[in-house]
Amino acid sequence: MEVKGEDEGSNYLIDLDSLVELFGILSQRYRVWAPKVKDGVIRYMPTSSFGELALGYRNIELPGYYELKKEEGYFTYTHPVNSLKELLHPPELPLMRVVKQSSELLFDYTMPNGERLCLFDVRACDLWALEVLDRVFIKNNPKPDPYYKSLRDNLFTVGVNCSYATSTCFCTTMGTGPEVRGGYDLLLTELKEGFLLQVGSEEGREVIGPLKKRRAEERHLQEKENIIKRTEGMMQKDFHRQEARERLYGRMDETYWEPVGKRCLACTNCTQVCPTCFCFDMVEKNGLSESYRVRAWDSCFSPSFATLHRFNLRQSIHSRYRQWLMHKFAYWVDQFGTYGCVGCGRCITWCPVGIDVRQEVRRIVQA
Amino acid sequence: MFKLENPYALRRGRVAKVIKETENIYTFYIETEEQARPGQYNMLYAFGMGEAPITIASMEGEYLVHTVRAVGDVTRHIDELKEGEILYYRGPYGNTWDIERAHKGELLIISGGLGLAATRWVFEQAKTHHIKRLIHIYGSKDYHSLLYRYLYEHWHSYSEFYITLERPDPRWNGRVGLVTDLLREIELKEDTVVFTCGPDPMVKACVSLLENKGIKVYNIYASLERHMKCSLGTCGHCMIGPYFVCKDGPIFRYDLIREYFERKEV
Repeated sequence: MEVKGEDEGSNYLIDLDSLVELFGILSQRYRVWAPKVKDGVIRYMPTSSFGELALGYRNIELPGYYELKKEEGYFTYTHPVNSLKELLHPPELPLMRVVKQSSELLFDYTMPNGERLCLFDVRACDLWALEVLDRVFIKNNPKPDPYYKSLRDNLFTVGVNCSYATSTCFCTTMGTGPEVRGGYDLLLTELKEGFLLQVGSEEGREVIGPLKKRRAEERHLQEKENIIKRTEGMMQKDFHRQEARERLYGRMDETYWEPVGKRCLACTNCTQVCPTCFCFDMVEKNGLSESYRVRAWDSCFSPSFATLHRFNLRQSIHSRYRQWLMHKFAYWVDQFGTYGCVGCGRCITWCPVGIDVRQEVRRIVQA
Repeated sequence: MFKLENPYALRRGRVAKVIKETENIYTFYIETEEQARPGQYNMLYAFGMGEAPITIASMEGEYLVHTVRAVGDVTRHIDELKEGEILYYRGPYGNTWDIERAHKGELLIISGGLGLAATRWVFEQAKTHHIKRLIHIYGSKDYHSLLYRYLYEHWHSYSEFYITLERPDPRWNGRVGLVTDLLREIELKEDTVVFTCGPDPMVKACVSLLENKGIKVYNIYASLERHMKCSLGTCGHCMIGPYFVCKDGPIFRYDLIREYFERKEV
């Protein structure tokens, strides 16, 4: 993962007032998306004031279960239920408007408008997911996607180190967290005496210029280390990912997949909440004289996904589950050089029948 | 910030000639400035309907040749195109047949049905390559479905070109039977290179037969057909194991995909 650069002069300590001020500066410079409480869950949403932020909440997540509680402190939850995919690879993105004029077609390519966007409060798993998506759409793609790139180039990110892990978190297993190690413009860690603010880019340095702040001391950095260690301790190592990947290639037989195929409803929830699932469909939205070509999220669990001459190559649900899991934990590495899973656990929480992907990997690999 | 080319941008090509091949298959000659290679494909667009990946059957001068069977919404619209009308498309995409592998050796091409469109161009190019023995087996469902009838005589002039029909027909004096029946009778050297395109079951059956004849699996290349939406390796529909058929293929060395191709529902 690319680290934008961090030096000794990049660590500051700010108080709550300065944090509020920082948010104000960000709102002036960018359109800000940040976690807010909506309908009983924490979601990334357009946010205009500090007071709207979902601060002082704790998310309790289990397979098929989600609950919010109040908690002492500020950044006391893990991550929102939706991911940054919603912004960079939107559920529906029009690629072009096509108009028929006499017998000719006119194409108007509807590129995103280049608006500057700030994502406030992004955790290690979701920042890693950005790197994963970057590789799919730009970095490891011989034909880079200009729609994704124009959204990505206009992104400013404020990372936050997690001081808590819920039971569905497994970033340590996937090697993506809980420590934010790069890919941020600014990074916050909640400490006893305030907030540690670290700079990851020139733009970040510029943003905090006018901010009231003081140099962070060694003990502040030490406290950050301790917080990360404590958070790490809240998660268990579920499996060895390289070993799992190698073994999965020898587990293609359907006998390994049938048990989970019986439980899975193929509802596509997991692929919708996943921060890296990128599959999409091209949909034609037609009016009387024009047609939009729209890129819309699709899912390998959908019965029409692998259709060939109106016949679905993956009829059984277990074969679709195999495709999804093999892609995440094995194929992805061959394709893009990272795992397709960042260990955020959203697919576990939002599975209506509570399938825990960690258990499935363990069961299949150990069988 | 550098500007990227839009890979979804469509180009226009005037339809110069249309040939009716069968009741629902037409061949279009499209004016183009595009450079393509045998085995590649284009995404053809139909207004309000979407796109379909169609193999490039040949390039004749500045004409791009596409053979399209009307089976879905998109292809049904494309098949209604008349001379002088405009076809909108993007491409070319995908890899090419590795004809150098057959240099100074034997090349066997096996085509099933419309798969002939994917092998036609490389078969035409093989004429000018140093290939000791060129064999082409073409299997068709019935007499009505035969493609490119106007080219058979020419093909016979420079290769061993065989046709077999699955169903007999009073107008047909040639062979009747499956591609595999015909393949069984043909003597082949063990280092023969094989290019094939056809329905999945045909490809599987041919590979197993070729192996029995001592042909190496790594000398067999198959062009696959899968559901495709983007052709850029990002929509995920065409995945087969770790491969994207749209950008890693559509042509694969058979030993690399066998594990995924022969297994059910991968």
